[in-house]
Amino acid sequence: MSFHIEVITILLNGLQQGAIYVLLAVGLSIILGTLKFVNFAHGALYLIGTYAGLLLALDVNLTSGLLAEWGYGQLGLGLGYIPALFLVPVVVFVVGLAMERLVVEPFKNRPDTDQILVTFGLAIIVQELFRAMFGSGSLPFSQPTWAQGAPSVPFLSAIPISQWRYYVIGITAVLVLIVYLLVEYTDFGLVVRAGTRDPEMVELLGIRLSRPYLLVFGIGAALAGVAGVVGGPLNPVNPTIGNEILVPAFLTVVIGGVGSIAGAVLGGTLFGITQAILVSTYSAWAQVGLYAIAAIVLLLRPQGLLGEEEVAP
Amino acid sequence: MSLLEVDSIDAYYGESHILRDLSLTVEEGEICALLGRNGAGKTTTLRSISGAKPPTVEEGTVQFKGDDITGMHADDVAMQGISLVPEERRVFANLTVAENLEIADVSRNASNTWRRRLTSTGQSMSTDQVYDDFPRLRERKTQIAGTLSGGEQQMLAIARALKQSTDLLLLDEPYEGLAPQIVDDVESAIERINDQGVTILLVEQNAAAAINIADRAYVVDQGATVFRGSADELRADEQTREQYLGV
Repeated sequence: MSFHIEVITILLNGLQQGAIYVLLAVGLSIILGTLKFVNFAHGALYLIGTYAGLLLALDVNLTSGLLAEWGYGQLGLGLGYIPALFLVPVVVFVVGLAMERLVVEPFKNRPDTDQILVTFGLAIIVQELFRAMFGSGSLPFSQPTWAQGAPSVPFLSAIPISQWRYYVIGITAVLVLIVYLLVEYTDFGLVVRAGTRDPEMVELLGIRLSRPYLLVFGIGAALAGVAGVVGGPLNPVNPTIGNEILVPAFLTVVIGGVGSIAGAVLGGTLFGITQAILVSTYSAWAQVGLYAIAAIVLLLRPQGLLGEEEVAP
Repeated sequence: MSLLEVDSIDAYYGESHILRDLSLTVEEGEICALLGRNGAGKTTTLRSISGAKPPTVEEGTVQFKGDDITGMHADDVAMQGISLVPEERRVFANLTVAENLEIADVSRNASNTWRRRLTSTGQSMSTDQVYDDFPRLRERKTQIAGTLSGGEQQMLAIARALKQSTDLLLLDEPYEGLAPQIVDDVESAIERINDQGVTILLVEQNAAAAINIADRAYVVDQGATVFRGSADELRADEQTREQYLGV
């Protein structure tokens, strides 16, 4: 493989891995910025997205876990990947709404440490529930046959990157753009941006924030669900993937700047590309690279790359 | 019936007892001043009226246009026609001037789309009217509010409140930190708004400036009313002014 092909391959792989971080970090970041809620269960939403995607898209043959023992080893609706891509965000959006009302709302005015404890506990409960039901082994979730292999267009066909990875990048770009437009150009977005700064003042203007907050959480959850369903076919699928991706997702928010969509995109892309470069050069250092970048960014800009220095009063 | 009747309320911040049996009334159309030293309970009174929490009102009632609004959620109080311009202005520093005004429309839109009960009979001003009243804001409408001067931020906070349907405007220390020239501007803005039919309850530390434009005044000390009367009576009452206001 010639050098420039290799470089482009690494960059595209990085963009794709970064896209997964971006999807998770945008949701985490707007939830943290708006609701001031630290959601350590965000990875659980990713996990739910992956499993929901798998079960909606394919027929799955479970070999361990309670479902298999109970005789439900043959699971899955086999609807195909496209319906799954549309249904998963809806499913996880609804899960998000329930979670906002049952967990977030009661703990919204509690200290960060309480929020971390309760959501991390929830994340472990979800993980262990999935382990019990579906077994701890990895389930087969392959890329769809129509998206395997390089796209048959000039130039890109020479680069060993599957079409699925391009779709991941494209879907992420479109969704992040939609969220951005929603936040910048709608009444909902106006209330959210004002509420990020001074929630009490927003309520004094006659606006009840509980509904916009619910929607913010639902949107963040749906994005995590999409990350799960597009990321699922690129990685092993097992019950620990949610909590494994939580730390890079949080680091992305922190280096990008809490509450900043552009920051989440920049941070996620930076992480993805760094990771891709390290994986293909000094692969043992791939994870260390993320922490090194996070440490350097936080030393130089504690508020994150695009975060505002000031915090809400 | 008075527009606002605060009837012997006791308000608490957690364990601290801030307002003790405080009563006041505001008549339709007037400018009523609420004066007193720092920490006397002025802001707590305004927060108790507007439904901001804390404080919690544990005794007594707040009635607005004859309806009991004690303990009501802040956004519901706003929908009844009470607008607050809080201490330190609290404009949304991350939004533009135009967006700061636009957000006041959202609750009215919500009353259409979500059938929130909007019982205010007050006229809300259109953006154009507000800009006519405060031409500086029109000049700066695309500017980020956080970069405005103190006086401009005060104008913006008042303009934002007027964009709501307002029967009663609560102003908390509108002159605080402003240069004397700007105090005059804000003062004439308050009088102009009052002339347009908006009732005003004005909280100030700068008692002299407040008495200037007020019809009536209350003086509070340690969470209780120690004086009530017309502005002229307060001007004449040297003892009250010296003891509680330091002027």
